[in-house]
Amino acid sequence: MKLFKKVSLVAVAAAVILSSAGVGSSVQAAGSVSGKITINGSTALLPLSLQAAKEFQRLNPKVKIAASGKGSVTGPQAVKKGIAQIGACDWDASTDVPGFKAFAGQVANKVAVIPFATVVNKNVDVANLTTDQLKGIYSGKITNWKEVGGSNADIVVITRAFGSGTRVNYQAKALGGGDIVKKAKNYKEVGSSGDMKTAVATTPNAIGYIDLVYVTGGDLKAIKHNGVAATVDNVIKGSYKVWSYGYYMTKGQPTGATKAFIDYVQSKKFQEGSLKKLKFIPISAMK
Amino acid sequence: MSTPVHDLPAHKGSVMQTPVPASRWKRGRGSRVRFTNGLFKYYFLLSILALCLVLALVVFFIGKTAILTFKDISLADFFLSFDWTPEEDKFGAASIIINTISLTALTLVFAVPISVGMAILIAEIAPKWLKSFIRPILDLLVGIPSIVYGYLGLTVLIPLIREWSGENLGDGLLAASLVLTIMILPTVSRISDDAISAVPKKYREAAYALGSTRLQVIMKVVLPAASRGIAAAIILGMTRAIGETMAVVMVIGNTAQLATSLFSPTSVLTSNIVMQISNVEFESTWNYALHMMAFLLLIISFGLIMIIRLISRKRGDAA
Repeated sequence: MKLFKKVSLVAVAAAVILSSAGVGSSVQAAGSVSGKITINGSTALLPLSLQAAKEFQRLNPKVKIAASGKGSVTGPQAVKKGIAQIGACDWDASTDVPGFKAFAGQVANKVAVIPFATVVNKNVDVANLTTDQLKGIYSGKITNWKEVGGSNADIVVITRAFGSGTRVNYQAKALGGGDIVKKAKNYKEVGSSGDMKTAVATTPNAIGYIDLVYVTGGDLKAIKHNGVAATVDNVIKGSYKVWSYGYYMTKGQPTGATKAFIDYVQSKKFQEGSLKKLKFIPISAMK
Repeated sequence: MSTPVHDLPAHKGSVMQTPVPASRWKRGRGSRVRFTNGLFKYYFLLSILALCLVLALVVFFIGKTAILTFKDISLADFFLSFDWTPEEDKFGAASIIINTISLTALTLVFAVPISVGMAILIAEIAPKWLKSFIRPILDLLVGIPSIVYGYLGLTVLIPLIREWSGENLGDGLLAASLVLTIMILPTVSRISDDAISAVPKKYREAAYALGSTRLQVIMKVVLPAASRGIAAAIILGMTRAIGETMAVVMVIGNTAQLATSLFSPTSVLTSNIVMQISNVEFESTWNYALHMMAFLLLIISFGLIMIIRLISRKRGDAA
């Protein structure tokens, strides 16, 4: 998976560099800004940060960018401690979300749209779940698939560990802020999106949630939420609600090289180009 | 003992150093050898001291952060409560500690008889061609990264357990201990094999001369004589089992509850730390509590090693 990602990233990078070689240089005056930017935080946004850093450094050779990913909450934390200028986070860390207090004095800069999907193992014959049904399943009140119109089998709940940006968003948007049960027999926690995919794909009767871009292959399928299919089009149309912005958190309003970099990520050229190729949705697509 | 320095033939020096008087050269060479010897002695001493220092620093820094846990919660809460729900400020580690100990014990129950049996087979019973076939294979198995074992456990072992037990998930102590057993098997059996092979031949010959059967020789003579080496092998296997993280995380289910059956998803110290450490704030009780768990892991493995050392010492005296 990782290797595949890397290879595809390199391929995308090569394509972008080739295509932008003619246009890019005339758009921005090269080397007008200088400085050092450190990006820390969400792994979901890491491919985007790396790609943007590569392109931005080509245009501004005097800027040095280092990007790493560990987990959403580490982003705003690193900004707070002064370790990083940009904290990548899957939620707006300048406001309170369940389990995490707001990071005071930080500004959230939208950089991308990340859709999430409810996924089930291929043997599950339920195609649609409402918010209430999902709430029941994740809070442990509904434990059998027949209660939501499926066959008679126990539901295996798979969830991400507390602190995952995917979990924070899924809980807020798909479960309507509902609780996720902590201790149960058919309950399992996994550490990353890749683990989630493997776990749901290999466990019969399993339900989980994951970034939409991970839903590939035949062993797991994304199901409808309140009757709406999880597709990029439905996210853009506004009918599919389980998505969130990806944010670059900064200490106060960004300045200097950091501002130039965020502007570049938010620019139409990057949003419609590389960002789309990485399967994120441009922020301008959301009304 | 080695040849004294001044007795060494000095022809190499005499060829190269003709202008220098022989007496001066001799003295220079002797002091130079003494100097290099001293240098190496202190170099090695320094290496060991550096190692001790690093170990002490690890213990100190983990311990320092860990102790902060008890600013916010009491010792009794941490060690006696079974409720680990850090997002609600409940930091009871009892169930996770007990799970860790039972996982290690279960792994040893599976691994020790099999691996010691394999060691006996390789060292005492197997014909030469089989020996030269099994040994390299075991050596190769030691080198496989643990995440590979974890992935195989997740994709091969767990579906089998699920089918066999009729459980929905299959994650839990049994899956984890089987994966760990396969992981530590080559380590334990190879080192035990070395220990058994090192037992002097005359012991066996004497036992056979007294009319023992092969079983009696192995059980009454060879195994007791090799018991310290086998204990060392078990220690190594056990430390690998207790500290193993990546493979365990993939098959244990990561649910912070006491393992009431072999198949209920549960959590051990290592898996709990690795699942949560990247998502907690630096200066929070949660972070301190995870450090406390790491510190405990250190203490538990240290304690277990001490116990086995003591046992093997006693046995060694009796044999």
